[in-house]
Amino acid sequence: MSVLELVRLALSRIGSSRLRAALTMLGVIIGVASVVALVAVGQGATSGITARLEGLGTNLLTVTPGSSTEGFTRRAAGSATTLTVDDAKAISALDGIAAVEPEISTQQLVQAGTLNTTTNIVGTTADFMPVRAYTIWQGSFLTDASVNAGLRVAVLGSTTADDLGLDASSIGSQISIGGLPFQVVGILQAKGSAGPFSQDDQVLIPLATVQHYFVQGESVRSIGVSVADADQMDLAKAEIQSALEQRHGIAADGTDDFTIQDQAQLLSTVSAVTTTLTILLAGIASISLIVGGIGIMNIMLVSVRERTREIGIRKAIGARGRDVMAQFLIEALTLSLLGGLVGIVVGVAVSALIGALAGWGFVFNPITPFVAIVFSLAVGVIFGVWPARQAARLDPIVALRYE
Amino acid sequence: MSEPIVSLDRVWRVYDMGRLQVVALRDIDLRVAPGEFVAVVGPSGSGKSTLMHIVGCLDRPTSGEYRLAGTPVGTLDDDGLARFRSRTIGFVFQSYNLLARTTALDNVAAPLLYQGVSRRERLARARASLERLGLGDRLDHTPAELSGGQQQRVAIARALVTDPALILADEPTGNLASDQGAEVLALFKELHRAGRTIVLITHDHDVAAAADRQVHLRDGGIVERPLAA
Repeated sequence: MSVLELVRLALSRIGSSRLRAALTMLGVIIGVASVVALVAVGQGATSGITARLEGLGTNLLTVTPGSSTEGFTRRAAGSATTLTVDDAKAISALDGIAAVEPEISTQQLVQAGTLNTTTNIVGTTADFMPVRAYTIWQGSFLTDASVNAGLRVAVLGSTTADDLGLDASSIGSQISIGGLPFQVVGILQAKGSAGPFSQDDQVLIPLATVQHYFVQGESVRSIGVSVADADQMDLAKAEIQSALEQRHGIAADGTDDFTIQDQAQLLSTVSAVTTTLTILLAGIASISLIVGGIGIMNIMLVSVRERTREIGIRKAIGARGRDVMAQFLIEALTLSLLGGLVGIVVGVAVSALIGALAGWGFVFNPITPFVAIVFSLAVGVIFGVWPARQAARLDPIVALRYE
Repeated sequence: MSEPIVSLDRVWRVYDMGRLQVVALRDIDLRVAPGEFVAVVGPSGSGKSTLMHIVGCLDRPTSGEYRLAGTPVGTLDDDGLARFRSRTIGFVFQSYNLLARTTALDNVAAPLLYQGVSRRERLARARASLERLGLGDRLDHTPAELSGGQQQRVAIARALVTDPALILADEPTGNLASDQGAEVLALFKELHRAGRTIVLITHDHDVAAAADRQVHLRDGGIVERPLAA
């Protein structure tokens, strides 16, 4: 008796009691759908964050001031003002460094015509573009000449330009930053990021200009360093560390007043966190899969009892114990497999919807449905075997007498 | 004379109920030759059902030997018994025992499923079997849509579809109105004329009268002559 015949038998049985079959499958549908959706959402979030981090620039090291200590109170990291423009210059003199850009930032009101927005004003150098991996959309970026001269020129992030109603024709026009007139020289290509880390909502102006008009002093918020060779990241990191320790008069075993972060470190931390979360969520969801399997077992046990007479008849006309067992097992498997397939469709639809709403797009991983199918088959086997054995063991004489 | 289809030699069936042992069959010797139509008659409690289960390979004797179509049934395991049963015996039950919510055609085709016959051939043979019994226009009816007599004829069609060596009928007219019962009985006579070997079990002497030979059962043993009715 072939599996095909048994599947045909199971399908006609399921077809003759559709409502019951649908309710039986519901547990597996919900279980598989939630596993598929949660895994897809987890992966979508991971890839969204990863793409955003990669968009920050390749071969990037970021040096930030360490926490400052005032009396005995240690303040938050980044609160110190220990990094200076001269530190940036010292770093750029090291071997294997492609570009260095110090940044100072301040929040200012920006006005263009009747529109205005309050945003991040970043004072930087011409190396900002290569280090942070931006490209220019219209006009040009800051030049060494304009940076050195401390001109009042500005390059706008794409979101900021939109907010101010500026487009390609606005290159060369005047805007006001913190009440001072600036000339727009360029608009950046959007990086397509969203949320609190927006990299497109900022205005870039020469470092010296920020120092002159808005923030006094030599200290910088961060120094972005582009390493020439991605394989030399660790070496470059060590070089920068020892150079800065020397400049800041810190012993090699002392506590540094700065932090060097590299992208790979950040990426691995983020992906470790999101992977853990994904596994946790999928684990919770798989509990509903088990509950769904118990639902199938319950219905199959009831079904074996209800169909005692059918089993007796089948045995009398020649079915062996294993034929009856196979019939009931295939029926349980068909139920769980159909439930699994519907669950995958529902899960993919839900995760596509969530991905669209959250803005990270939909990541379809073909492994997930495959695993879901294997899992729902396993549920069918685990929870179908016992009822099937009950059916197979029935004595045909007793089963035929059963009313 | 050729070998008998049914051959029981000193067959006992004892049910072990803990301390109590109940003898259902005692020392049964019975031979049914090919082409014979034998009725086993007896009141309820006489061991008819037990005998039918043993002849039908649904149960095994406690002692004694049973050979069906030359095969010693005692040597077969449960699966072997099931397989042998499906090839050798066609059952007709008192309560028809058709699969509910299944068409007449699929009911008749079901035994062939367990013999590994292809679907196409199963359906063709089931259709032919139903047509021989005058049910050609009832192929797609489920048991609930058929009269008692029609259901019993579907059951007979199912018994015949495997071309078995023995037709074993247990009170086949017991649930039927007298006219339909007579029709079914006429069918058995016709099958007998066509050369089928039939064992019919009944408590009804009028039904038993349709057979060539009657075997009377009383208290688990075969008796020469029935007690006066």
